[in-house]
Amino acid sequence: MESKSFTTGNRDNPNTDLHGSKNMMASHFLRALFRIQQTSTSSSSFAGRSRRIRRAAYASMAYSAGARRAWSRALLRKLRSRARLRFPRRLSRTARPQRRDMDQAQVLRKLVPGGPSMDYCKLLEETADYIRCLTTQVRLMQTVMDSISSYAHHPMIP
Amino acid sequence: MEPGGSSGVGSGNSGTYTPEIAESLRFEEEIQSLIHQSFDGSSAAGGSFTALLGLPANQAVELLHHPGPGEPPASAASSSPTAGDLWRLRLGEHHAATDALRLPFGGSSTFVERAARFSVFATDDSPASSSGGGLSPGLKAEPPDSDSPPTLPAPAGRPRRPSKRKECEKSKAKAVAKKSKSAEENTSAAKPAAEENTSGDKLPYVHVRARRGQATDSHSLAERARREKINARMKLLQDLVPGCSKITGTALVLDEIINHVQSLQRQVEFLSMKLAAVNPRIDFSGLDHILSAECGPLAVGSGCGGGASGTAMWASDTAASTGGIRRMPPPQQIWHLDLVHPQQSSTVWENNGAAHPHFLLSPAISLVGYDPAGSVPLNSNQLKMEL
Repeated sequence: MESKSFTTGNRDNPNTDLHGSKNMMASHFLRALFRIQQTSTSSSSFAGRSRRIRRAAYASMAYSAGARRAWSRALLRKLRSRARLRFPRRLSRTARPQRRDMDQAQVLRKLVPGGPSMDYCKLLEETADYIRCLTTQVRLMQTVMDSISSYAHHPMIP
Repeated sequence: MEPGGSSGVGSGNSGTYTPEIAESLRFEEEIQSLIHQSFDGSSAAGGSFTALLGLPANQAVELLHHPGPGEPPASAASSSPTAGDLWRLRLGEHHAATDALRLPFGGSSTFVERAARFSVFATDDSPASSSGGGLSPGLKAEPPDSDSPPTLPAPAGRPRRPSKRKECEKSKAKAVAKKSKSAEENTSAAKPAAEENTSGDKLPYVHVRARRGQATDSHSLAERARREKINARMKLLQDLVPGCSKITGTALVLDEIINHVQSLQRQVEFLSMKLAAVNPRIDFSGLDHILSAECGPLAVGSGCGGGASGTAMWASDTAASTGGIRRMPPPQQIWHLDLVHPQQSSTVWENNGAAHPHFLLSPAISLVGYDPAGSVPLNSNQLKMEL
């Protein structure tokens, strides 16, 4: 998402592009949330719902980045091919003493989608974009969360 | 640049080198003659070469022949032709050296030339290296007065380089760097001390000729470009990751980056759990209309309905489809929901101050209807169940 690069300049009109990609992500995510909301019944498990929401989050990230980025392409491939979206979330938080120079690139490759098939230079570039996108997505989710919970406390005005 | 052939020294390069090369050739012959003289003369006062050296003949000889003290003149004499040959060989590298050395030393060309000559005479071979070492003080002495001070560091620094040779023997770039550093460091080095060093050590600078400040082969150029690319990307990453700019050292920075990515992924996980728990009732009527106007490719399921008061406000905005400011309010609506509720948390999607709270309220309501039971659609007059 070069349009969302905060550090580098935007080639196009900054406002439109910035909002364009963010809006794409937002609308996609919200629609996906809505779909999940509709399709999930009371019987569906909480874990299943949260997994679906997480999948929707990554999907909207990947869609907003489009096919421009290697990580988004890899992510889309993963989303389409497999039903289960596995993430290295269960990276053991136990101390990894050997996670030093030699393993750092490996660890990063595991974190960033499409990492294993990149050279180091591209890996760094993709990591930067991935971090940007992740930050955006987290903020989006936080905002949705806040707005929703705000209405929990403040009932709707009919 | 390869060490060119002997006589083809001046060829193939810009004409700027020819004066130096011619000069080097002159010096070379001169030195050769001087060396022969000194060998015959066997006294410091005899050959002007050794006088230039400021050393007794046998010392000059041993410099030429072998980096060991007390070498007999005879062996030195035998080595002198080879030294001369080696010098001629080295001249082939001279232009390369001068070329490379010229760049960072835009100022004093004489210095560059001197330095180049010193580098020229540095080889692995002990005779040639010692001859180079012996030559350098001579070169320095020859036009000492006319030359600027920078020439002084070069010969003075020359003997110190032997001591550093072992460290930078393999590394070309390091040799160059050390050479320049030592050249500056030894500005004040005493000449006698320097000469003693020369006598004791081998001479350095295996490959210093090519590397100062500029790669001369495609491999190192590509490597350098790649390294710079990687460094640029690391800088970008450092700017992205909070608190990373003050960390020095790639390993720590990478650790930080990894931690940041992991924490972000964990946040996504956590927020998705929270969203699943909250189980809201989200209606996208107004949102669809507004957002689809901007993001065309995303096929929205006919989000044009409802939200009469809400969407009507932005219909003009979205229809106008001008860039910049006009677009800002519609996307901001959902992100400024917190403006409606001042006690809201800190996360704001877009923190632009142009929001109109009263505009926001109705679309906010139209967009998000909170219904814990999930049974009754709220605000039916404004909402339409889409999708």
